[in-house]
Amino acid sequence: MIKLIRLEWRKNNNLKYIQYAGIMTVILLLFMIMMARELEAEETIALYGKGMLDSSVELFAHMSYIIFTGVMIAAVLVSAYEKKTINLMFSYPIKRSTIILAKVCAVWIFNFLAMVVSKIVIYLVLIATKSFTGITAESIPVGDALFLLNIVLKSAAMVSISFIALPIGLKMKSSKATIVASVIIACLTQGNIGSATLVNNIPFYVILFIAVAVSIYLSVYNIETKDLL
Amino acid sequence: MPNINMIQTNQLTKIIGGKELVKDVNIHVRKGEIYGFLGPNGAGKTTVMKMITNLWKPTYGTIELFGKVLTPTSYEVLKRMASIIEFPCFYEHMSGRENLELHCEYMGYHTPGSVENALKLLGLLEAGEQQVKKYSLGMKQRLGIARAILCRPELLVLDEPTNGLDPAGMKQLRDLFKMLCTEYGITIIISSHILSEVESIADTIGIIAHGRMMREISMQEISEINTAYIELAVTDTKAAAYVLDDKLELKNFKVIDAHHIRIYDDQIQISALSKGLALNDIAIDFIGRKSERLEDYFLKITEEGERL
Repeated sequence: MIKLIRLEWRKNNNLKYIQYAGIMTVILLLFMIMMARELEAEETIALYGKGMLDSSVELFAHMSYIIFTGVMIAAVLVSAYEKKTINLMFSYPIKRSTIILAKVCAVWIFNFLAMVVSKIVIYLVLIATKSFTGITAESIPVGDALFLLNIVLKSAAMVSISFIALPIGLKMKSSKATIVASVIIACLTQGNIGSATLVNNIPFYVILFIAVAVSIYLSVYNIETKDLL
Repeated sequence: MPNINMIQTNQLTKIIGGKELVKDVNIHVRKGEIYGFLGPNGAGKTTVMKMITNLWKPTYGTIELFGKVLTPTSYEVLKRMASIIEFPCFYEHMSGRENLELHCEYMGYHTPGSVENALKLLGLLEAGEQQVKKYSLGMKQRLGIARAILCRPELLVLDEPTNGLDPAGMKQLRDLFKMLCTEYGITIIISSHILSEVESIADTIGIIAHGRMMREISMQEISEINTAYIELAVTDTKAAAYVLDDKLELKNFKVIDAHHIRIYDDQIQISALSKGLALNDIAIDFIGRKSERLEDYFLKITEEGERL
């Protein structure tokens, strides 16, 4: 499986995605610095609490990475069906479900690591630019184990949620449909209408995780006996 | 030639959406031969080949590869075979060489120099470093063949492999297939609707039309039967046909058009035939023995398929 994941990264030009993730992190960072500067961060934090800043970073990082993961699902999984390279893959002496799961893992691992690194880089740079943004290290406890655990868990959850777009893309055999689905997922899970939001709605997330499990199950269900149309 | 079947299908049937794509197809491909799978467009060649390569599953019937029944989980046999179905697909942003190296990784084949050899055989050594998206259709087709032979398979399944190639490229591939078969003992099944492409290299021909297997015959048998015929040019084919049938008691003939009749009877002599026609007042413009090519045989068989 590890070899298959490595081969997926190799043939899908991971370097390109690393560059995209880097560019996205820089944009997110600039946006956060400007926002912190505009809102005079420490005063706003004093008013709304310490969680205000990291929830902003989390919100924008999550939205960006849910869509970014959707783009990668489209490129690595759905376009393999569109461009028929999956026919080639299924001609190899490897279980079809293993091939699909390797692709899923390749996308998941990449985006999970990229999101964690992005968030940590953003937090560290925000602290480093405290003279400009007015943020203190106390507002962003990067050294705190719980804070780091929170970053890791939320990143894992958000990347997983993106996979709801997978069966939609596979069913429609459309990369565009996959990306549109991921944008809708990003808006639904991270957006708000007035004061109504599903960001911290636990039952909603439980439903989403069930949906993710069903999505991945559906994408490999019966795959060994299905015709490759 | 040994009588071991590398491929054997038994009553192979595929139905999709209520439509019978192929029905009761029985194919027998012997070890070490080149099997030409002929049929007009839409006859069901690709459907059969997709089932042989396990991409599609039969609705009814079975496939035996290397003497073992193919099941949805027959992964080991895939190590021993290679295929090109429809058009070969590549990772277009990668170079030809990288695509071949990737193929070796997936197949678990690590013989040094194999990629170079395959590129060299197909005349792609120089183009090997280029991205595949810069390749012409013919180059992609050749790269597909290079990938197919890269891991020295025992069985090659090629669906219209010369699509997009110029005549020189087609000849090069025909020579290559012949060489792979004779020197490396690779069994090849090659589908085509271009008869001349297969005629010169195949040992056995299978003809499919309208999803039905019409005939499976060795090239030697084709050359022995039905290949020679007497071409007769007359002014009145109706009267001539009557004389042939009623007076001369010849049954195996065919009226080609308003002036031509072909007589498939190797017993009758031209002199006896012309005498018989002349005695019955049939004016003969031309009479002579000709040989039938595979093309004629193919057309005759596919016409039979249309009547079914």
